[in-house]
Amino acid sequence: MATLQDPLELSAPATSRGTLAHMRATLRRNWLHVLLLPLLALWASPLVWIVVTSLKTRVEVFDPNAGFLPAIAQWSNYPAAMAVAPFGTYLVNSVLVTGGILICELVTITLAAYAFARLSFPGKNILFTLFLLQIMFPIYATFLTNFVTVRELGILNSLPALIVPFVASGYGTFMLRQAFRQVPTELADAARLDGCGHLGILWHVYLPLVKPTLVAFSIIAVVTHWNDYMWPLLVTNSESVRTLPIGLGLLAKSDSGADWTRLMAATVVVVSPLLLFFVIFQRRFVDSFMHAGLK
Amino acid sequence: MAEVVLQGVSKSYQGRPTVHGVDLAVADREFMVLVGPSGCGKSTTLRMVAGLEEITAGRLLIDGRDVTHAEPQKRDIAMVFQSYALYPHMTAYRNMAFGLLKTSKLPKAEIDRRIGEAAEILHITHLLERKPNALSGGERQRVAIGRALVRQPKVFLFDEPLSNLDAKLRTHMRGELKRLHKELGLTVIYVTHDQIEAMTLGTRVAILSEGRLQQVGAPMDLYMRPANTFVATFIGSPEMSLLRCALRPNGAGSVVHHPRFDTHIPGALERAEPGDILLGVRPEEVTLSPPETPAMARGTVERTELIGSEALAEIRMGDDRLMARTPVMQAPDVGAEVGLSFDMARVRLFDAATGRALARL
Amino acid sequence: MVTGPALRAHVREAGLAYLLLAPSLVFLAAFTYWPIIRSVWFSFHDVMLGSDKIFFLGLENYQRLWTDALFWKSLANTAFYTLVTIPSAIACALLLAVALDSKLRGMTFYRSAFFYPVMIPSVAAGMVWVFLYAPGYGPINHALALFGLPKLEWLYDSNTAMIAIIIMSIWKYSGYFMLILLAALQMIPSDLHEAARLDGVSAWNRLIHITIPLISPTLYFVIIIGLLHSYQIFDYVYVMTQGGPADATNVLTFYIYQNGFQYQDIGYASTLANVLLLFVGGLITLVALVFGRRVHYLGR
Repeated sequence: MATLQDPLELSAPATSRGTLAHMRATLRRNWLHVLLLPLLALWASPLVWIVVTSLKTRVEVFDPNAGFLPAIAQWSNYPAAMAVAPFGTYLVNSVLVTGGILICELVTITLAAYAFARLSFPGKNILFTLFLLQIMFPIYATFLTNFVTVRELGILNSLPALIVPFVASGYGTFMLRQAFRQVPTELADAARLDGCGHLGILWHVYLPLVKPTLVAFSIIAVVTHWNDYMWPLLVTNSESVRTLPIGLGLLAKSDSGADWTRLMAATVVVVSPLLLFFVIFQRRFVDSFMHAGLK
Repeated sequence: MAEVVLQGVSKSYQGRPTVHGVDLAVADREFMVLVGPSGCGKSTTLRMVAGLEEITAGRLLIDGRDVTHAEPQKRDIAMVFQSYALYPHMTAYRNMAFGLLKTSKLPKAEIDRRIGEAAEILHITHLLERKPNALSGGERQRVAIGRALVRQPKVFLFDEPLSNLDAKLRTHMRGELKRLHKELGLTVIYVTHDQIEAMTLGTRVAILSEGRLQQVGAPMDLYMRPANTFVATFIGSPEMSLLRCALRPNGAGSVVHHPRFDTHIPGALERAEPGDILLGVRPEEVTLSPPETPAMARGTVERTELIGSEALAEIRMGDDRLMARTPVMQAPDVGAEVGLSFDMARVRLFDAATGRALARL
Repeated sequence: MVTGPALRAHVREAGLAYLLLAPSLVFLAAFTYWPIIRSVWFSFHDVMLGSDKIFFLGLENYQRLWTDALFWKSLANTAFYTLVTIPSAIACALLLAVALDSKLRGMTFYRSAFFYPVMIPSVAAGMVWVFLYAPGYGPINHALALFGLPKLEWLYDSNTAMIAIIIMSIWKYSGYFMLILLAALQMIPSDLHEAARLDGVSAWNRLIHITIPLISPTLYFVIIIGLLHSYQIFDYVYVMTQGGPADATNVLTFYIYQNGFQYQDIGYASTLANVLLLFVGGLITLVALVFGRRVHYLGR
């Protein structure tokens, strides 16, 4: 991809200022490649290692003299890994939990963000600060007492337990409020004259106009909750409610580190849905994370 | 019939008054322009009529019905916004249909017919399937007007609708609005800060300053007979010059004394006692003459400015400055001494303390 | 001043606002505010997991905390992890962002390659790095040997275990920070750089005196995001080391987990949790005080 500067071209006398400038520009760009390519290799190597190992034999993993690539690709590692644990159930649970959280969050943050962006009411600033407090103290900071609460509610080891702590989102409310505030007030005025009440304005004007923010928030929320480990780890203890990351963690434990090939095959299965989405909708993903919180 | 009556309509934000008891009656088919500098309360007044701002005190009647606290959609009004406020995610057609779908139970065919008709009047039939960002400024403007037209409201409200257009398009749209008003017999309340727009569009013009109604009248009336110095200087470009003078009754008329000249005003005045006044002279009411000829006063030319067929000259007379309009060929040189005469039949007098016009009886 | 109908409109609007906030507030109250209050209350009591009996202890839990060497160690480990990871990851991210903020060929490819670790679940990342760090057959030690460097025990040596987790965290989060910084860099008007270049300002000075001040609001934002992501260290410790070796990687969140879930001592675990809240809250406040005032805002 990077074409290194030909040394001959470097020593060639500059015939005009144009070519000199051109040469310097090319050099500058290629210097960046020289710097970035090794870093790129470093960053990519864990992923490469996962894939390569998932296709090796167990012997090859531990043999220092075996090559970097497997002699024969062991595709059978994949069905073997999937047979160890009910990954189908995990997948369904992951989808249900992530989807459930996303839908609940979208409803709560839309309503709350509209109130903060467009309505005036006593206590607005204090309430907004209280919402922001959740950004500072997420569930990972209060997991202990939240566990006690969930236990008392009697929903331990159930899918709702995986969803309820994430229904409200201070971050999402903040993000959406910022987006709502960018919508010109005249549009809301026009909608009022067109006969819309607050909910009509929200539905017909605000939501269609902040779609990019909603997509960005959704992507971040899905990545966060799809990958979440700590909370599901604490509140689940049976196969029927476990999510993919928990299943993967369990597999690692039960195999006690011995069978890396199966484990890496399972890892490929667990990480590929998101990575696949990422590759397909790269621009959307990158834009979402890029501009989250900046608007 | 569509009449709008404002009775002592006031607005205050957190106890701070911004509009003070505006009384205004807009007649059926009238094009009423609210004009004033920014922050004078004209937009707030319009938004109160629209129902977008709560009326703090006073009453608002539309067609004899008290709508002071009615919801906007129940007032039978339509509004065209400064930024057009077209819904960016809807086509021009949807933008125009949206309000009808929300507020009326009109059949689809009737909605289609109304939009088709409005589109034809506004020459936007070919644009109906486009979204606002595929339209030019002028086209958006037309769609926004179309959105108001299809509602067939009693009253049309315009909030500085032309200020986002370039100068040429603005002149064109001004003509269009005039045509629409005349052809369709609309009742319009129109807010602008541009006095030329106000003078050319309005059948009557209401001038606001600092939240108070200064004067209401036909454009020429305001120009010729301003009620106070604010109206006098706000209307007309370049603005009227105000010269501070002392007034003394003398026989059937009065003597006006200025450090640089004395003159006589024929006829009786509203006020008989002597005192300070401001003499209001419009640039076209000044005649310049060569220094050696007899004249009412003398001054020095500070600056001249060509404006096509005419020239403007700023003349210094002691501490006062005064604008005069002359034919280009007779424009004086900068620095020259000139003689000045005023058309004393047309000049206006204002009370120096209150700024109120002194009626000439 | 506010008359009848106007007042009614205000009340209606406020009522609607509370109604819209209610769903969020119910869940925030249940899973954010109530747990914090409860955590404070628990810390003055002897509470065992699964038992209904609660005994008042006063400050006993806090006295125990004061003399608990392991607590101090976990606090120090947490601080070490946070204070090393965030600056290194941000420095790394900033350099990557500056390098990528040009019309570089393959820019999107680089961007994605540095960003993808964010998409990997922490448990998978942790596991893979356990493998990479493996002293015998791990590729990292192979690579070190290739360069003639001594092999390390990594996660099995109390001197290097935390460093190993930090290196992995930098790999995992730099790409995220880079992306946010890149967005900020792209918003700097190019004429600012061009003007500085015409004035003969060197690339390094442009970075220090123009770029960094202009993106300082974003840097500030990234620091906060970094602090919040540092909660995730629990996942890595749980998957990679279980706090070991010799508690070298035992951090506050993990120590809370041990006390609460393994020893079932909710009272003491809550006391630790309060320290965690104070630690993160304090760091964020500190960052806000130090950086919040000095950031430059472009335009508005």
